[in-house]
Amino acid sequence: MMQQPAKPAPSALNRRNFLATAGAGVAGSSLLTMLDARQAPAQIKGTTLRILQWSHFIPAYDAWYDKFAKEWGEKNGVKVRVDHIPHLDIPARMAAEFAAGAGHDIIYNGSSILTRLYYKNLVDLTDVSEAAAKKYGGWIPAAKSLVEVEGRWYGLPIFYILAPMTYRKDLFEQNNLKAPDTWELARVAARTLKPKGHPTGIALSQCADANLFWRSMFWSFGGTEATPSGDAPTIDSKELREFLKFAKAIFDEGMTPEVFSWDDASDNRYLASGIACWIHDAISAYRTTEDTNPEVFKNLVLMLEPQGLPGKRVSAAAPNVWMVWKFSKNQQAAKEFLTYLIDNDLEGMVQSRGYNMPYLNDRYKKPMPVIGTDPKLQILQDFPKIVAFYGQPGPSTTPIQEIVNTFVFPDMITKFCRGMAMEEAIKWGVGEYRRIYSKHKQA
Amino acid sequence: MGGGRIPPDLLEAQAGMTPSSPSSGPDAASARAAGVSVAVRARPRRWLASQTSRRLAFGYLLLAPAVLYVLLLVGAPFVFSLFMALSDASVADTTASFVGLENFRAAFESDVFFIALRNSIGFTLVAALFKGMLGTSLAFLLLQPFWGKKFIRGLVVIPFTLPISISVLGWKWMYDSQFSVINWFLSTIGVIGSYGSADWPIWLGQPHLALAACIMVNVWRNFPFSAIVLLAGFTSVPNEILDAARVDGTSFFQRFRHVVVPMIAPILLIGFLFDTVFTLSDLGVVYLLTQGGPANATKILPVLAYQVGIQAGALGRGAAIALFLFPLLLPLMILMLRNLKRREY
Repeated sequence: MMQQPAKPAPSALNRRNFLATAGAGVAGSSLLTMLDARQAPAQIKGTTLRILQWSHFIPAYDAWYDKFAKEWGEKNGVKVRVDHIPHLDIPARMAAEFAAGAGHDIIYNGSSILTRLYYKNLVDLTDVSEAAAKKYGGWIPAAKSLVEVEGRWYGLPIFYILAPMTYRKDLFEQNNLKAPDTWELARVAARTLKPKGHPTGIALSQCADANLFWRSMFWSFGGTEATPSGDAPTIDSKELREFLKFAKAIFDEGMTPEVFSWDDASDNRYLASGIACWIHDAISAYRTTEDTNPEVFKNLVLMLEPQGLPGKRVSAAAPNVWMVWKFSKNQQAAKEFLTYLIDNDLEGMVQSRGYNMPYLNDRYKKPMPVIGTDPKLQILQDFPKIVAFYGQPGPSTTPIQEIVNTFVFPDMITKFCRGMAMEEAIKWGVGEYRRIYSKHKQA
Repeated sequence: MGGGRIPPDLLEAQAGMTPSSPSSGPDAASARAAGVSVAVRARPRRWLASQTSRRLAFGYLLLAPAVLYVLLLVGAPFVFSLFMALSDASVADTTASFVGLENFRAAFESDVFFIALRNSIGFTLVAALFKGMLGTSLAFLLLQPFWGKKFIRGLVVIPFTLPISISVLGWKWMYDSQFSVINWFLSTIGVIGSYGSADWPIWLGQPHLALAACIMVNVWRNFPFSAIVLLAGFTSVPNEILDAARVDGTSFFQRFRHVVVPMIAPILLIGFLFDTVFTLSDLGVVYLLTQGGPANATKILPVLAYQVGIQAGALGRGAAIALFLFPLLLPLMILMLRNLKRREY
């Protein structure tokens, strides 16, 4: 009797699994090869890539970006369309595109980073981010808090906007004041110079500057906004009370009620008009003054974030991130383009006149373009180690986004500065934090 | 009404309903019963074929597009927003679970909501008052004969037709804390001190002044609409009636109060209704001027709903906040439409 051939042991790899595994392997390896060779695959030829981009504060950057995207498209046979809208309109546009399941392939987020809200509907960009990290020495520490969810990157940080301390050297020297290397020195300067017609100002209204710059001060005084996991608020603390006392003092002694009405450009004008003794703002203020008031400009000095506690400097920056919709029919081209954009982020920095700060460590090799060659701006090269984003030290979670969008933090300071008792203002602010966190937990 | 003959099918239907005589005896009764049952079965078919039913069907057919239009463009979004307000809908999720009145409870838990509600009501009432006064004055001015009247009438609607982002940006500059042209003018004529003095108004920084500044922009943008509505009403009043009132010795205000207003009341009510809806749901002016600041002093319900529902992604809670406009508007609409209907008869 012939022996029956042994029945093969059942394999976990059936035909469907085999095809899926093989397909993923081929796609993955080809992407890695492409990324390595910086060559677009033939599959993306003849496709269309739609990009939603904000309207940059530096118009020249937008002109460069549009040309850059078009040229990439021509080189790779992809028709690229770039749409620009104001950054405040982006959340509404994202909601509309998601609801419709159609729209742009690549979408930009600025300041309000919605990765955690939409991550289930975004393409996993871990491969692109890892390739970039490998190539350019890794990401700066704060980058992953913006885009990482459950260990995967659903967005690609492209640049952030930082806010140095900018002060008037002439006024400081005339009054024997030390450079504002600490918040205390900044307060002394404002207290001294306000009676002489040169107060300072940080917006205490409902605008991005108010959300960012008071947080820089709070974090530099050792305060934190949430736990490292981002699960719970940690704002109610001794540090908050110390910070609020200081904030009220610096407001009373060195500012005017004008700050309650300010928008994001008001402090630029305050400095350019020759009134402000110092401001804490993005370098747009420096650029505006350069263009409009050369006399003041020549006396401007930029500094690192002032220390709150000794040696403690934390700078709240405005992040900017790219994402790719899962419904995009051209995900491969989107990844290709983003890889190319990362490769050229220094050119973006040049075109934005030093405004766009990169997230990749190797980009900080001195001298950096624009800021490395301008003696006044060189200090900006030292910021990446102290940069933090909303929710610090936790990630930019959805409750934090609501807290930011409803201006709870600056409103708490405003209430106190307007005369509400400190504990009452804290009770209101902490109550709002807790209420918003609990609503998101329930959801 | 009347004068026409009663249609034959109605006469037949009426005959079928005539009660039978109680003295007709049992046989007659059963025969009648059989006859009635046949008539009852036959009647619907005959009624469907009758002229009345055809007329009714034709009427409904003519109404159908309007009903469908209202259902699709008003009813469906309203029901959808109601559904969202009762669910945990998020901008990033296509599914949502029913949460009952949780979103409304969440709104009541926040004092910002009550500030926004109070501001919305105050904003609408004060703006309506000023738009009414300015619109009436402008309409009377535009009724007067003068050279270039048509051109001026065209110019008047400019604030209403300008894109809101552009016009509000212009106002933002005029309210600037440092470079306000309004303040520089007031300072030049000596009404206020110079920049930096205590009486230098910070339009968008002082709570009451900020709300007033937002109302002022809304009034500026929309009072031409009020004026045009009123102008249309004024020109529809026959001159003969006004002349008769003049002959009777009435003053200008008496004519306005007792002749013009009653005659144009339906137009006034519709205009007021539109304006109230537009003002209560106006997101642009406040959002572009202050985003609701300082410290929520100018926050109104549409801005809060947008910030919570769209910017923060909590669509359910945002919809619940926005829906609070509905109970505010509903009684007003019912009152006005009832008043309007009464005037028609």
